[in-house]
Amino acid sequence: MPSLNDSRPGTTVRITGIDPGQAGGSRRRLLEFGFVPGADVTVIARGATGGLLVGLGDTRVALDSRTAGRLRCGR
Amino acid sequence: MSCHATGAGATGTATAERSTGTPFVALVGNPNVGKSTLFNALTGAHQRVGNWPGKTVAVAQGDWRTAGGRRLRVADLPGSYSLLPDSPDEALVRDVLTAPAGERPDAVVFALDAANPARNLYLLSQILDTDIPVVVALTMTDVAARRGTPPGAQALARELGLPVVRVEGRTGAGLDPLADAVWDALDLVPPPAGRISAWAAGSPVAAELADLVAEAAGRTPHPARWLAVSLLCGEEPPAVPAALAERAGAAAARLATAAEGAGAQDTDARSADTRSADLAAQGAGAQDTDAELLVAEARYAWAHAVIERAAPRPAGARPTLTDRVDRLLLSRGFGIPFFLAVMWGVFQATTVLAKPLQDGLGDFVSGPVSGGADRLLEAVHAPGWLTGLLVDGLINGVGQLLTFVPLMIIMFLLLALLEDSGYFARAAFVADRLMRTLRLPGRAFLPLVVGFGCNVPALAGTRILNRRSHRLLVGLLIPYMSCTARLAVYVMIAGVFFGSNSGTVVFFLYVASVLLVVGMGLILRPLLFRDMKEEPLVLELPPYRLPTLRVTGAQVWQKLAAFLRTAGGIIVATAAAVWLLMAIPAGAGHGGFGKVDVEQSVFGTVTRATAPLVAPAGFGDWHATAALGTGLVAKEGVISTLAQTYSADEDGDPKLTASLHATFEESSGGHQRAAALAFLVFILAYTPCFATLAAQRAEIGTRLTGIGFGIQLAAAWLLAVGVFQIARLVW
Repeated sequence: MPSLNDSRPGTTVRITGIDPGQAGGSRRRLLEFGFVPGADVTVIARGATGGLLVGLGDTRVALDSRTAGRLRCGR
Repeated sequence: MSCHATGAGATGTATAERSTGTPFVALVGNPNVGKSTLFNALTGAHQRVGNWPGKTVAVAQGDWRTAGGRRLRVADLPGSYSLLPDSPDEALVRDVLTAPAGERPDAVVFALDAANPARNLYLLSQILDTDIPVVVALTMTDVAARRGTPPGAQALARELGLPVVRVEGRTGAGLDPLADAVWDALDLVPPPAGRISAWAAGSPVAAELADLVAEAAGRTPHPARWLAVSLLCGEEPPAVPAALAERAGAAAARLATAAEGAGAQDTDARSADTRSADLAAQGAGAQDTDAELLVAEARYAWAHAVIERAAPRPAGARPTLTDRVDRLLLSRGFGIPFFLAVMWGVFQATTVLAKPLQDGLGDFVSGPVSGGADRLLEAVHAPGWLTGLLVDGLINGVGQLLTFVPLMIIMFLLLALLEDSGYFARAAFVADRLMRTLRLPGRAFLPLVVGFGCNVPALAGTRILNRRSHRLLVGLLIPYMSCTARLAVYVMIAGVFFGSNSGTVVFFLYVASVLLVVGMGLILRPLLFRDMKEEPLVLELPPYRLPTLRVTGAQVWQKLAAFLRTAGGIIVATAAAVWLLMAIPAGAGHGGFGKVDVEQSVFGTVTRATAPLVAPAGFGDWHATAALGTGLVAKEGVISTLAQTYSADEDGDPKLTASLHATFEESSGGHQRAAALAFLVFILAYTPCFATLAAQRAEIGTRLTGIGFGIQLAAAWLLAVGVFQIARLVW
């Protein structure tokens, strides 16, 4: 299944899940920011040194590429 | 007065018990929602900042004087995304709001960002689980209005079942109705514990949660609904009855299994397919966090439903002006050059721009002020020692302190401008990759860059870091950033010993400075901050804004005053102390107090005694250690002390050059260039100045400053010895 990292700037995708990743990790923080299954995320830009800037409703969130890679999405 | 109101609020007889004290209101909200602006508007000048009892988190508290002469005590709790904490700041918010009954705040004022309602409502749903009466202060309505139809206060109040007051912290609009709403909320008898939270009703977790809440109610002094849901999310709060913890574990496991099996029957077919696939992919090992995912989903579903009913609006993110700017400022081609340009600008401002102001102030103190004081003391026939102490000691020390003032103002102004404009979060995003080697956030880049100019404002700049451990580590690393005061010493010494190659030597020292910072970071982090783990970047980027002069000015003044208060005394006192040591003769027959040669003073005796300590580095001579000694006070003192001890002029005096060659040739046993390089490396690595120590103490505390001081001396000695011993093989 594609991850958010595979999405091009300008596209909107729907979150379907979060890879567990290492213990602790970013999963909780992602959930709390609203990256819950069913949420629509728009990729706004790719960072100059990697990572993604995404829009979640009116909020803009920067993610490093590893974290973005953990967000499964489809549409 | 204690920091917790006792007895009032949570037990349901608020009105009766409150007569014993001022009600305690906690101001809570996400970061960047205008919470602190609101706090300042509520309390005005009646506030103080200090560590929360038993914690290392600074919290501002103040008096909120409401209409009719009644007072409320308000604490501005740190900006927080969640009651499932991810940082010490967030843990404090959780601890305050979920304390045992009777120690909790009497009411919460929740700052809700109208421009960003969903994530704010997520936190609100957690706070409602604590059973503390909540009044919602709706902020940022102007920003929200520009983006379309924001949820109105009335509609939100209807949907939430809570008082909602629209406020404008900068103008003070809405503060009186907010106070009325808080007083009303304090008089309400809270509903009985045990009912199901609004966000959970109708969600897959509702039945299990209701069960756990019933089990918890009456068996814990903490809020039952909060305790039940945090257990379900895999948290381990202290002192939970074993039976309850066991039931929560079983409930979480059942929820995970059910979610896996029932996914296909979910009403939302699109997310259902993928959710079950996701859960299957995670396997049984991640079961306990699946309840957490269900809870997060339920809270967000509730938040979106509230917004939907309060302000129907088109879904999806529309590109804003900020987005268009970000596409440029974060792009591969333009992002890094722009970031470097901003950092260059900060560096220039704290060096080139500050320089004439610093020099002007310094000249003013050493010229007219000292001269005036001299004449004044002469006129009243003051003894020579008093003139020396007052003019060369105290006034000189105050002069040194004053030269930092323009530097600090510029630094604080830049920090405030970068932060308030919104660019700083972008800079942190760009530098994230680079700083990751040290497991520091991207924001740490700025104080380190400023350290190339001057360590003192750089240390003040560590306050932009959100985590204490990050502030401490960066605070310990900054002294290794080679400041411009050290550059003056490099240029002079390298010029004497390396001639046309001195440029290369100075460049080598700057490279060494960066390597030293990285190396020290890699050594100190695992030693002192074992719990500092590599963190994922999940960073909110606020919209670009024009900073307002009033808010920025107030911030700058507050920080400058704090710097002068905490560091000022030490800087003045050490300057006076060193003057004193140089003025006291070490024995009889060396001239009187204030008339003695440096060599025969107490200072000279001490530096002579310490010279053998640095003999392995090739510069074991009292001229050199005397220069290093005054260099402790300020690096500007190194050259003037060398000149003074050789009775030469400071600038290009052939006598000074010849004396230095002779001294280093002798102390190094014929390897004077190796010794000079070692001396320069020592200058780079040891304590930059007492002002840095004072600033460090203000930011990271006395203990760590002491440890850092020891490490600086040890590192400088080891490196200098190493450099000398290796370089003497070549030169």
